[in-house]
Amino acid sequence: MPNQKGNSQYKVLVEKWTNRHKNLQSELFNKHQDAFKWLVDNSKQLAVGSLASIFLLASPAAAKIPNAISSASAQVSQTIDRKVFLVYDLKNVLPTDVRPLTADEEKNVSEVLTRDFNIPVSAELDGKRLNTTYGLIGQEQHLPRYPGDNIFNHFDNQNDSNKYWSYGITPGLGAWGYFTDSSGALTQTDIDREKYYIAVQTFLAPGFDTNTKEYTDFFRYRKMLVVNPQNGKAIVADIADAGPSPWTGKQLGGSPEVMNYLERVDGAQRGPVLYFFIDDPNDTIPLGPVQY
Amino acid sequence: MKGKHFYSHLIEIHEIYLSLSEMDLSDEERGHLLSLTEANIHTTVINTVLPQLSEEDKKVFLKNLVANNHEETWKHLLGKAQGIELKIHQSLKELKEEFLKDIEEAKKV
Repeated sequence: MPNQKGNSQYKVLVEKWTNRHKNLQSELFNKHQDAFKWLVDNSKQLAVGSLASIFLLASPAAAKIPNAISSASAQVSQTIDRKVFLVYDLKNVLPTDVRPLTADEEKNVSEVLTRDFNIPVSAELDGKRLNTTYGLIGQEQHLPRYPGDNIFNHFDNQNDSNKYWSYGITPGLGAWGYFTDSSGALTQTDIDREKYYIAVQTFLAPGFDTNTKEYTDFFRYRKMLVVNPQNGKAIVADIADAGPSPWTGKQLGGSPEVMNYLERVDGAQRGPVLYFFIDDPNDTIPLGPVQY
Repeated sequence: MKGKHFYSHLIEIHEIYLSLSEMDLSDEERGHLLSLTEANIHTTVINTVLPQLSEEDKKVFLKNLVANNHEETWKHLLGKAQGIELKIHQSLKELKEEFLKDIEEAKKV
């Protein structure tokens, strides 16, 4: 909840920026009134694709802030707003095409994510980085967690089974092998690591070829914040597999649970995600969806 | 041409967002200030462009603008207003500096 000082600062800026806009408007309409009169007179004949451009000119952009609302609806409103603001923030720092981000772009994105989620993230950790932090995500299958793990005994409950059964389980193992030795040794950590795993192109990381062992140890179950920049949904995932192959056109893959939460799909409708390392030396940040 | 406006590639305003984020504002207040920023930027750009055009070209420009045809708008401007890219860039740079200065001053209130 903003304090009185914050509210005063807000009022100062609103007054300044509203006045500035009014002055610009006056100057514009006074100097070019013939052109605007023509526009108004001919608006019915013009192909008006979006009124936003004109609205921004005409609007005083000083709409009143909604008055007090009930605490329950305020809570809902706050949750929605935060996602909207994250999407808005990211839209303004991300390129329009999906490509590796520049160092400045990565810095801006990591600042936005760290601030909005209160989770320390970075493109580079301990001097290591992936080939990209912004890429197209594809659908992965479940991974076998221990010898004998199969699609019939993989799920904790019927709901998950119904939801995720159809994705199947890989015939091979993840990049780090089984998560544990047997079903009896399976821990909640193992379950979560498989449930919320991503596959990233570790083999394309700069320096991987010359220090394979060191890099493999670093990437093994490394936590990453994965964010869908188009809906603001984020999940703490871990690296449990290497892939996909560069020829697929994808840069990473997500478990069925990760993809479902982020609302990402494979195929023609596939879309991008941001994925940044989480600096969590004491292992205090849990895997799974990040709640606002 | 991709982007929200035909001039989107000429301004980077994340510094304003980041600077606002350091203030103790509600989401609604921050959103309001961002919309004011956007409106000022837009009007500044149009104010920079129109004096560079003839009366007929102003009509073509406004017609392209309301049609939301960024590529056509930009192509037309480049052909009719010499050095327009630099002029818009300079106007927006100055506006951004003023906004950042305003924010810093407001923080002292």
